[in-house]
Amino acid sequence: MKKTSLVLGFSLLLASAAPGVAADAARGQEIYMKTGCYQCHGTVGQGANTGPKLAPEPLPLESLIAFVRNAAATAMPAYSAKMVSDAEMADIHAYLGSIKPPPQRKDVPLLNNP
Amino acid sequence: MDKAPSGVNRRKFLTAAAVSGAAVAATPPGPTGEAAALGVATPALPPTAAQMEAEIGQPTKIAVTMAEPGGRPGSDFMVDVLRALDIEYVATNPASSCRGLHESINNYAMNKKPELLTATHEEIATAMAHGYAKVANRPMGLLFHGTVGIQHATMAFYNAWCDRAPMLIMSGNHLDAAHRPPGVPTTHAAQDPLAIVRDFTKWDDQPASLQATAESLFRAHKITMTPPYGPVAVSLDAHLQEGVAGKDLKIPRLSRTSAPTGDLDSVKEIARLMASAQNPVIVVDRGARSHRFQPLLVELAELLGAPVVDQLGRQNFPSRHPLNGTDRARGTIGAADVILGLELADFWGIVNSYSDIAEPKQGRRLKDSVKLLSINSREVFMKANYQDFQRYQDVDLAIPADAEATLPSLIEAVKSALTPEGRAAAEKRAKTFAEAGVKQRERFMSVDALYGWDASPISTARLSAEMWAAIKEHDWALVSRDVRLSNWPHRMWNFDKPYHYIGDSGGAGQGYGLGAAVGAALAHREHKRLVVNIQGDGDMMYGPGGIWTAAHHNIPLLTIMHNNRAYHQEVMHVQRVGNWRDRGVGRAAIGTTIEKPFINFAMMAKSMGVEGIGPIGDPKELGPALKRAVQVAKAGEPVLVDVLTQPR
Ligand code: HEC
Repeated sequence: MKKTSLVLGFSLLLASAAPGVAADAARGQEIYMKTGCYQCHGTVGQGANTGPKLAPEPLPLESLIAFVRNAAATAMPAYSAKMVSDAEMADIHAYLGSIKPPPQRKDVPLLNNP
Repeated sequence: MDKAPSGVNRRKFLTAAAVSGAAVAATPPGPTGEAAALGVATPALPPTAAQMEAEIGQPTKIAVTMAEPGGRPGSDFMVDVLRALDIEYVATNPASSCRGLHESINNYAMNKKPELLTATHEEIATAMAHGYAKVANRPMGLLFHGTVGIQHATMAFYNAWCDRAPMLIMSGNHLDAAHRPPGVPTTHAAQDPLAIVRDFTKWDDQPASLQATAESLFRAHKITMTPPYGPVAVSLDAHLQEGVAGKDLKIPRLSRTSAPTGDLDSVKEIARLMASAQNPVIVVDRGARSHRFQPLLVELAELLGAPVVDQLGRQNFPSRHPLNGTDRARGTIGAADVILGLELADFWGIVNSYSDIAEPKQGRRLKDSVKLLSINSREVFMKANYQDFQRYQDVDLAIPADAEATLPSLIEAVKSALTPEGRAAAEKRAKTFAEAGVKQRERFMSVDALYGWDASPISTARLSAEMWAAIKEHDWALVSRDVRLSNWPHRMWNFDKPYHYIGDSGGAGQGYGLGAAVGAALAHREHKRLVVNIQGDGDMMYGPGGIWTAAHHNIPLLTIMHNNRAYHQEVMHVQRVGNWRDRGVGRAAIGTTIEKPFINFAMMAKSMGVEGIGPIGDPKELGPALKRAVQVAKAGEPVLVDVLTQPR
């Protein structure tokens, strides 16, 4: 069962990762929302008690893919390539990379409130 | 008391009405006299045949049970009993099986001590009693229809049971089939009406006389207020409510009852083990029953230099205390060689891990050598069916006793057990732990809180920081749990007063939030505190009528919607299973989200006479909105701010 889905996932990957199609942050945001990453990590990857912060400065793409594929051993449910292809992961990565760094604490009076 | 056929009865009644002035003058001193002076009708007229027909939906000729002319109504006696028990409030949703007592509270008690609180659902009324009890440390009365009213309230009783909240549930019942009205009242009668809640109340009764009712209510009160606290229920026969109170009835004295306390030998043994440990750790859940607990726990922790991991079932330990290890629970517990659990709901979950994966992995996460000690009043009183007692955890020494009552002797025993070297080691441990805590707080505020700072929907860290700025200059209290806000309030706010926080629902049954907040706010009202309720949208929709009750009874309360437009926990669950099965998460929103259409909670509040602000999705608008809302609450009114938030 697992094996079939991996094989299937691989063929999907080949179909969608046509050479020359660059990762796209806007599309990545859509996929990030559609595949529910935001449910645990927040809409801008800010993190919560349900999943750690993902952005800005996301993990390198390979690590991101590796984590998501093998997450089953962790508190996060794993995503096979059938659910999010490597190309889609690249788009998610582009989205996470496009998220601007947060302000500095010194510029936020609310966080200097005893 | 047998009754003649209704015709006779009614004639008798008319005579009675003519002499009622004299009858009132003869009744015991109390509000009845005042009622007469105000021209308020004294003993209720029996419903006419037409009224009866309208009420029960069929023509009827029945013997109406009622107080004899000049006789003292049985339910007036019940009021006297409730007064002797110092019951301040009775929350109700009106019901014919309780009409005798209801009328007595209105016209005999003049709606003062007890005062009736109108709720739009029994589940809301029960949640109100639940929240009230955790602030006031006393039971609220509840007055419900037997059968259908009790059925409505059951889930909320279960929450109170799991959370060990005291409350005095009263329900009406027409016990005697030969007397009760046919039709609906008979449908609503039962031979054992409280059987349905017996698994999650501490005690219940169906007394068959007024004297037994007084004794039953006193026993119920004593049981609900003896640790471990928990709900108790008494079914009040309608015939007794509406009949006459005899002359020789006695109201018992209030017994003073102490809490079950640990025996000295076992207490000394725990003290010795904690005092000689390398890394003692205290884990606490529903420790604080009263304001006495927190200073005691602080003293114990400081003596031992022992970090405290707070499961946040109550206001147990100051959030910024240098020994507070709640945000470092995993590491703190992992480093322990001796763990003392105080009133833990789930010791197994502290000692073991469980991963919610397709083939769950579970097992002990702590070394076998770690000594486990427990003081827990729940062990004094358990029931079999519902599994709120959690998985079985073996321990080295368990004291089945109330932690709050046992702490003073434990503190003394620790003082005796600590050697000078032990004290020095404790001091050193505390210092190291405190330094790591400062670093962690710095990280929360300088790094973690800032991610997503300007996001819309609004991040839970931003929301918590904005709330803190709005409330911190006031005498505030949070009456909801903040775990669904990723615990940001407990990370940011300074919870140090014993009334700052009351924990969560206990049974995780939805529909607790708003009702409990209204009840808690009522208990805070006399102290003029700014009461804050962070309210989930899903939970709100179980019992939105709580908004109306707050308005109707002028209960100041600032409700801030954590509106993530979903039953978010369930979104994650469905998604998780979709992932396990490799079927994707594209349809996880079906049945789990609250959209199409979105609910406008500000409009909902307005519809019930409460100021509603929002929905607010732009973080820049949040500060001014909260400022306005605080003004309204401080002026003594309920107010709601609808905030569109990140999921967690
Ligand atoms: C049901 C909740 C949930 C969902 C949905 C989810 N995650 Fe996670 N994620 C987690 C948790 C929890 C962790 C931490 C796991 C651990 O370390 O045990 C995590 C960890 C990660 C990490 C590792 C981060 C680090 O710095 O170590 C990455 C990367 C990640 N998730 C990406 C994703 C992406 C991309 C998606 C969507 C395709 C996603 N997650 C969906 C809960 C979730």
